[in-house]
Amino acid sequence: MKKISDLEKLKNEGVENLPSSERRRFLKFGLSVTGVFLGGSILSLTAARNAQGIVEVMPPQAQKFPYSPHYSMVIRQNRCIDCERCKEACVKTNHVPSYGYRTTILEMERETSPGESERIFMPVLCNHCNRPPCVRVCPTKATYKDKKTGIVMMDYKKCIGCKTCMAACPYNARYFKEEIRAVDKCNFCYDTRLSQGEKDTACAAACPADVRVFGDLSDPESRVYKLIHAPEKVAWVLRPETGALPNIYYMND
Amino acid sequence: MNINQKGFAGFFSVLALAGLLLALVWGQAVGAEEYDEDTYGPEAPIVFVAPVKAVIFTHKTHTMDAGLTCDSCHDEIFQMESGSTEQNDDFTMKSLYDGKYCGSCHDGETAFASNTRCTVCHIGVKGFDRMQGGPKTDAHGGH
Repeated sequence: MKKISDLEKLKNEGVENLPSSERRRFLKFGLSVTGVFLGGSILSLTAARNAQGIVEVMPPQAQKFPYSPHYSMVIRQNRCIDCERCKEACVKTNHVPSYGYRTTILEMERETSPGESERIFMPVLCNHCNRPPCVRVCPTKATYKDKKTGIVMMDYKKCIGCKTCMAACPYNARYFKEEIRAVDKCNFCYDTRLSQGEKDTACAAACPADVRVFGDLSDPESRVYKLIHAPEKVAWVLRPETGALPNIYYMND
Repeated sequence: MNINQKGFAGFFSVLALAGLLLALVWGQAVGAEEYDEDTYGPEAPIVFVAPVKAVIFTHKTHTMDAGLTCDSCHDEIFQMESGSTEQNDDFTMKSLYDGKYCGSCHDGETAFASNTRCTVCHIGVKGFDRMQGGPKTDAHGGH
């Protein structure tokens, strides 16, 4: 039998190299021993996974892929000119108050060569993550991932306004809507358009530059599928290191 | 003492004056050429808000820097009167691709093509608001 003094001589392998399941088992064990079992890192807010998270084996929570339809949006970033018609359409369709947003445009200046820079407009919205941190932290299950479409939805009646989801969201895609005393967010216009038979979101329909391409990623005939699978295109997602597995893709055309 | 001080001050004022003159002459010869609105057009940028908000045009870039003259564009490509062009129904990107308006030069040969480098001219709603005085803060950001 090994003594503690022998174990101390072993090299510490760290936790970075442990597979998820093993780490999970270890944490579970540790937490049940200490009596503070919470089933994971506290509120998910503690440790951001490193970038390996995205090439790891799909975790159990994300194994349902694709959804059907698997709604997704491809944003062709360099076409965006910040005319903000998408924002206007979203506000009108989803009754978004002036102090919040479901989608917005970020602006940045990137140096292309010494003394020269280019302006970049970046549309952002809820990424409808396959492993949504907001859903994981919600204490009342007011926000959830729709079993059929994968849309991250809100049940306003269950929301207690604790705003933990707002803190957990890596994309700053949520706001507290005073009028209903609940958190509001993009739902791909599910209630206002998709369930009414429309095929796309208000923002995508309003875009004059065809920046936002919305569709079903599980359908090989859809535009989003074709764009994402075009070998000559480079696609990226925002903040992959969080391991949230987002469904909003970015590319330049 | 008193005279000495005066002389000292006088010497310095002459030196300063000479320096100022030198700087002026040197600035004229080497420094930036004065922008002349009669030659190069209005100095204030033109901001188009239709059909989308917003597109910026500066006369300086096109005349003083690129060497165009007034009649390169006026009145055949653009009416001289400000605000008149954006009232035309065909003032669209499609027209530009067809070689009208900005597309007369921005065709990929004379100047960069109209369907590239969008944000060189498109400043967006954010750029427009900034020009109207101060950046509009996003209500969301502070939360």
